[in-house]
Amino acid sequence: MNYLSKMKGTTKSPPMVNVSEVIWSWFGAFVGISAVAYINFNVLAGTGLIMMIASFGASAVLIFGAIKSPLAQPRNLVGGHVLSALIGVACYKIFWAQPWLASSVAVATVIALMHLTKTLHPPAGATALIAIIGDDKIHSLGFTYAVLPVGIGVMILLLVALLFNNIARNRRYPEFWV
Amino acid sequence: MTNQDVEACVPVDISDDDIYEAMKDISGYLDITPGDFKDVYLKAYRHAVLRLTRSVRVIEVMTKDVAAVSGDTSLEDVAEIMAARKVSGVPVIDGDGKVIGVVSEKDLLSVMGGGTASTFMEVIAQCLKGRSCLTVPVREKVAADIMSSPAVTVKEETPVMEVAGLFTQRGVNRMPVVDANGRLVGIVSRGDVVRSSCFGGGA
Repeated sequence: MNYLSKMKGTTKSPPMVNVSEVIWSWFGAFVGISAVAYINFNVLAGTGLIMMIASFGASAVLIFGAIKSPLAQPRNLVGGHVLSALIGVACYKIFWAQPWLASSVAVATVIALMHLTKTLHPPAGATALIAIIGDDKIHSLGFTYAVLPVGIGVMILLLVALLFNNIARNRRYPEFWV
Repeated sequence: MTNQDVEACVPVDISDDDIYEAMKDISGYLDITPGDFKDVYLKAYRHAVLRLTRSVRVIEVMTKDVAAVSGDTSLEDVAEIMAARKVSGVPVIDGDGKVIGVVSEKDLLSVMGGGTASTFMEVIAQCLKGRSCLTVPVREKVAADIMSSPAVTVKEETPVMEVAGLFTQRGVNRMPVVDANGRLVGIVSRGDVVRSSCFGGGA
């Protein structure tokens, strides 16, 4: 197939899910993000600690909206985020003087490592990036960034996903653990 | 079984629309395009065809109720048995049930044609010319005199795929199936193999 004709695509987009799937996805994300956000804004308020990072919004899309996807499974959710948090912090510590380099090395490296560890989880790319482009509060966390907000945050999301996604008769989560 | 045979078994005419409809039947978001799913499906189907073809043993497709003759059976009786069973060949076994050869229509025709004719039409032609059409010497002969020996046999556990190859390589139309001790347990014909393949409409 020649280079330009590859850009035409070969197939069509998958079908739209039925309405009940849309409703369940909405409620799942509502409960999951509520749990993390409540802790972040109410419980941890004034402590200097944070629970919520932007990449959790992306994870919610997968673990509540595309629960069959290999990318949405517990191994990927937890493994991808924690691994990426560690790499992100390491890249910031090494390349902090050149933020553009720290950003690109971090994201590129986590993609490679997630492939190698079979933990590919797209939102985790953002988790790595946040360790670099985040504010001083994030930077001051050092490697504990991988525990809180990241590690504990994704564990809460995972718990909600497990409890919530199995309520509906025709939904099941996860597809696999390891 | 060659790659071409496998390809012939795979439903290549499945369309993206078929996949799309199937995806609609499954509730929840499937993180795959219809095109990718079709690729996976066709590859999986190909693997299944190969696995099933390799796993079918000759014992599952052979004819178990097999007529056999012994080495000293007269050709008259051999012909009668073959006619009665409507078969074109019979295994020849010894006292222990071990296969020592096969008598086929071809072997019989060959001896009736005086060794020079080997097809039915050649025998007819010879008879009409009034030459070598003597059935008298034929009557005196027994199965062991004219059988093809040693017989090409296969074991019960031989995969059907291998049997198909043997038919072509050895130029035979049927092979006696023997157990571990070489005793006759059945016979497999080209027809049995065809019926067991995806072309035969299921066995």
